[in-house]
Amino acid sequence: MSAASLSDPDDLGRRLLARLRPGRRDWMTAGLTLALIGVAGGVSALLLTLTGASPSASLAAIWTGSLANTTGWTTTLLNTAPLLLVAVGACVCASAGTFNIGQEGQVLIGGLAGAWVGLRLAMPGPMLVAVVLVAAAVGGAAWAALSALMLRFRGVNVPVSTLLMTFLAIQLVTFAVSTPWVLQESVQGAGDIADAQSNALPAHAQLAGFGHYPSLQLNTGLFLALVATVAVALLLSRSRWGFKVRMVGLNPRTAQHAGVRVAALGGLTLALSGAFAGLAGGLLLTSPVSTNRLQAGLSDNVGWDGLLVALVARNRPMAAIPVSFVFAVLRAGGDFLSATGVPSYLVDIVKALLVLAFVAPPVLVDLFHGRRGATPRAAPAVSVVPAKTEAAA
Amino acid sequence: MTPTTSAVPILELRGITKSYGSVKACAGVDLKVDAGEIHGLLGENGAGKSSLMKVLLGLVRRDAGTVLVRGEEVALDSPQEAAELGIGMVHQHFSLINGLTVWENVALGDNGKVNKQAIRTDIAEVSARYGLPIDPDARVGTLSAGERQRVEVVKCLRRNPQILILDEPTSVLTQAESEELFAVLGRVVQEEGRAVILISHKLAEIAQATDRVTVLRRGRIAFRAVTAETTPQLLARQMVGREVSLGEEAAALGLVPTGERRKGGGGGPEGQPPVLRLAGLTVEQGGVRLLADVDLTVGPGEIVALYGVEGNGQATLGDVLAGLIPPTAGTVEVTGNRVDVTRPGALSKAGLGIVPEDRHHSGVVLDMSVAENLTMKSLDKVSGRFLLRRRAMLAEARRLAGEFNIVTPSLDAPVRSLSGGNQQRVVLARELSGHTLVLVAAQPTHGLDVGAIEDMYARLRAAAAEGVGVLLISTEFEEVMALATRIAVISSGRITGALPVSEATPERLGMLVGGEAA
Repeated sequence: MSAASLSDPDDLGRRLLARLRPGRRDWMTAGLTLALIGVAGGVSALLLTLTGASPSASLAAIWTGSLANTTGWTTTLLNTAPLLLVAVGACVCASAGTFNIGQEGQVLIGGLAGAWVGLRLAMPGPMLVAVVLVAAAVGGAAWAALSALMLRFRGVNVPVSTLLMTFLAIQLVTFAVSTPWVLQESVQGAGDIADAQSNALPAHAQLAGFGHYPSLQLNTGLFLALVATVAVALLLSRSRWGFKVRMVGLNPRTAQHAGVRVAALGGLTLALSGAFAGLAGGLLLTSPVSTNRLQAGLSDNVGWDGLLVALVARNRPMAAIPVSFVFAVLRAGGDFLSATGVPSYLVDIVKALLVLAFVAPPVLVDLFHGRRGATPRAAPAVSVVPAKTEAAA
Repeated sequence: MTPTTSAVPILELRGITKSYGSVKACAGVDLKVDAGEIHGLLGENGAGKSSLMKVLLGLVRRDAGTVLVRGEEVALDSPQEAAELGIGMVHQHFSLINGLTVWENVALGDNGKVNKQAIRTDIAEVSARYGLPIDPDARVGTLSAGERQRVEVVKCLRRNPQILILDEPTSVLTQAESEELFAVLGRVVQEEGRAVILISHKLAEIAQATDRVTVLRRGRIAFRAVTAETTPQLLARQMVGREVSLGEEAAALGLVPTGERRKGGGGGPEGQPPVLRLAGLTVEQGGVRLLADVDLTVGPGEIVALYGVEGNGQATLGDVLAGLIPPTAGTVEVTGNRVDVTRPGALSKAGLGIVPEDRHHSGVVLDMSVAENLTMKSLDKVSGRFLLRRRAMLAEARRLAGEFNIVTPSLDAPVRSLSGGNQQRVVLARELSGHTLVLVAAQPTHGLDVGAIEDMYARLRAAAAEGVGVLLISTEFEEVMALATRIAVISSGRITGALPVSEATPERLGMLVGGEAA
């Protein structure tokens, strides 16, 4: 018995970062990641040159658009919040072993529900914002819950159903904003043509900034997203419920045997991830990052990007904070870059290459070391246990 | 040395070394196998038997050492090369596809065009020559475990291997079936100058079937001898690396205990209500009856064994008692109270603990910590309504780890990093913590080394002595004889008979296993 090592300190930070403790493999992963980022940069530069743009000017444009000044920072932080929310939701259901990839649709449905409530309910200021956000979360949750029900009663594969529901969501929102009696904007004067978008939310249904800083806007949405992230991280690592979620994700049979209601918990986490995506949709609608109108383009790939954030953060909510910031830098900088005439698909390619640079190394390192499980991960434990315990084993 | 043709061994390994990370699976292993012999390879789990054979099959690349086949050095870089050299293996775990027919399974891995008629003729020929009757058109899923083993052997023999490796072939065979298999192999090997390497951790099997024996211990050759000149005691000592008595520990080595047979053992007084009663338990899946009308009772302090050859419904029964699949009909009662097995956690609330057959699959969560695994069934104890109380969890885990002698670098280490024996102890400790009245132990010693097996036996006995009713589901005759006070035999999902251990003989159990009344 190694009694000495059993009395571990009980500090929160270590628990939260437990999986981030570096080992030899982690160094290899880090090195490989850096190398791949270099490769991604090289390929991007090559592509930019081929399309006639200057790589250095492009890099400067990304910098200017995202981090060079307070305007850039404002845009970047506004972009961070919805990405983070989507990613955190993805972390929750991935922890339970359920893979929701339909966030893009859930974001849209959240926006639809929020817009409906915001435009139809007459309520005093701050309360209306709260109600819009809650409606958005409920909308996203309900949309994801449909997939959970399909799994429960029809055995439909969750990634497939959530993905396909996204296209349904796009159609639904397009219908809503181009049908006058649903949500299409009202025509001002005679001869005006109504666009495929809703009216703008009333000013008191928009999220305020908090604090006053010269020219830098910090939106309440970011605060909301950060609080939600910390709450989810704590919930997963410290709560009884989180314990069960992790158990289901890592070994559903053992969890079931230990008395966890596996199917119900899986469905709940799926709905919860939908709620986070819906909330992100609500943020897009109510914060200054958009026009405060519902449009079919409201989600603007936030759902997909948020999913990538979770992928790169490897389903750790706290790690999703810096990753979503990086993605927000690319979004803000990318928008600025395309304004300088560089085709926006190049920005997407750069983003994709960077995601690969982050996602591929752990897989590659595992491949180098032989398949998971085939290599005894037991190795360190064996060397820690003194030889005489072997006989006792 | 100028070897004559007959003196050249059919297979020679020199200094084979293979490491996985810092673990040396094989360290300089030399092995010589002559044509016409059955060579036993004996060793505990983790002694390096499997790694050595994987090298031989070209499945893993050796770090050092040479392999000679009929005196010629070979590279053995790929499974294809091993197959071309005539090295074939019958694996411990079946590699058959249930949905396909026998001939389709046999044809798997062939190159070129599949000629159904030719394959069926081949199968008929091999079957007739080796006395392994099999219907080539039967669907593998409908075959018994013994028949499937036969398909594996036929599949391997059809490729005409010169060196045939059998990995623990008898765990799914009745004694009669395994004796028959070895008789056939012995004949074939001698007549045709082939060689068989028989891997086993069972002394009785090695002693009965092999000509020569090599004992591996911790990756090294510990001993080699002509089988007829050794004794089980000697082999046991070489395998374990210390003196073992063949009384209490014999079962762990695959021998029937020679010591005095224990009497009825701590069984509760007659008339005391059973702690576990299964009545008319039936499970049907896709029209197949996996369990048919199983009636079984376990009294407090009693160890009841459910003995039978693998694949006769034991796994299904284990799944029902773990709450993983609902029975089609029948009831489960714990201390006289009917338990709704479909409700999650109902069985464990009622006081039933289970050591499941496949611990990785449903016993532990490999990537969660030892502490988490030890306490996952008693969350009330280690958490408030909402938050986990980590201190309480660690304290409880430390208590259980101490009580059950679990060797772990830390309570925060993932269970994955523990040895098989310690993983099994984690399961046992968890299932016995709380108010356990019945313990179901399904194949609790599969894949454990001798020391861990002995420990498991002692703990099962201790649990029974404290009044826990133990249902031991086992395929090992010796284990059943060593532990149980009563033995029930299961065959094709039915209980074919039950006897007190004092009346059990290999013959009577063998007949029951075969589905006949005895």
